[in-house]
Amino acid sequence: MFAYFIPVLFLVVLIYSVIKKVKPYDAFTLGAKKAVPFAVSIFPCLVSIFVLTELFEISGLSDAFTTALSPVFSFLGIPDELTKLVLIKPFSGSGSLALLSEIFTTYGVDSYLARCACVIYGSSETVFYIAAVYFAGNKKRNLTVPIIISLIASFFSCVFACFICKIM
Amino acid sequence: MNVIFGAVVIISVAVLIIKNPENVLSAMLSGGEKALTLSLKLVFIYAVWMGIFELLENTGLSKKIAKLLRPANRLLFGELPEKANDFISLNVSANILGISGATTPMGIKAIAELDKHKKTDYAVTMFFVINATSVQIIPSSVLALRSQMNSANPSDIILPTILATLLSTIIGILLVKIFVKKK
Repeated sequence: MFAYFIPVLFLVVLIYSVIKKVKPYDAFTLGAKKAVPFAVSIFPCLVSIFVLTELFEISGLSDAFTTALSPVFSFLGIPDELTKLVLIKPFSGSGSLALLSEIFTTYGVDSYLARCACVIYGSSETVFYIAAVYFAGNKKRNLTVPIIISLIASFFSCVFACFICKIM
Repeated sequence: MNVIFGAVVIISVAVLIIKNPENVLSAMLSGGEKALTLSLKLVFIYAVWMGIFELLENTGLSKKIAKLLRPANRLLFGELPEKANDFISLNVSANILGISGATTPMGIKAIAELDKHKKTDYAVTMFFVINATSVQIIPSSVLALRSQMNSANPSDIILPTILATLLSTIIGILLVKIFVKKK
């Protein structure tokens, strides 16, 4: 069902462009051309974010945080095994996806931990990555409030995820 | 961002100088390498999606989508400049459908458009929070990974995920409504 969605969307757009007498090749090429400067403009932000996550990981800081926060998290119903995922998720999409597949192999793909990890993974985005990329062009905005609100909201959904996976 | 970046980098480097100093540069370089790999990937993903978007714009379809979502947008963001409304509508639709390659270009354009106008703090904050808390309906990458690993029922996490992501978005929206002033 979902496999059809994107192809059908493309088909509709292309047919519509022919009806509207928009030149499909010219328009598509023009759009694609804009992608290059675009990716170049967000590259510096990506470098900073990735350097940050690498250092955070390699210095053992992320493990230290995991150990320190585990008791608090388990009080709220988040299992110790998933603390790291909750912490990594706001920083790194690829890192948390790697962690997710690690959880799958360690605990079994259909275990409570694995299902819970899936819901945590799917319930929020990589907050700091989005902050860095979306505001790449603007240094003036103060991002503290939006970032804090997003982190709080994501954290609540993690707690909720661990709860709902017990009953569903 | 500056506070977080500063704090994390200073502490990490300090710890590494004590533990194993030779890892500092290699960690930073591997961060840069990962950023480059991702950027290269993004170039072609964005190229395809921005090509499609150009078609959407030239045919006027994007205006139609924007018109459809205008009442919902007004409720969430307040009065929006027309162009910002267009980009926000496309971004939100792409978000809901889980087309992650398409959300970022539209998101950046929406924010750049809002930056041109004054007193858009509220709209920008709301827009950021909605994007950061994710409104994706189908968690496609998780589903792919689960079926790859021979899960008995890969899709049994769809409903809990929808509920959890809905909750995070609603909490986010409420927090913005409570703590950020509409100017």
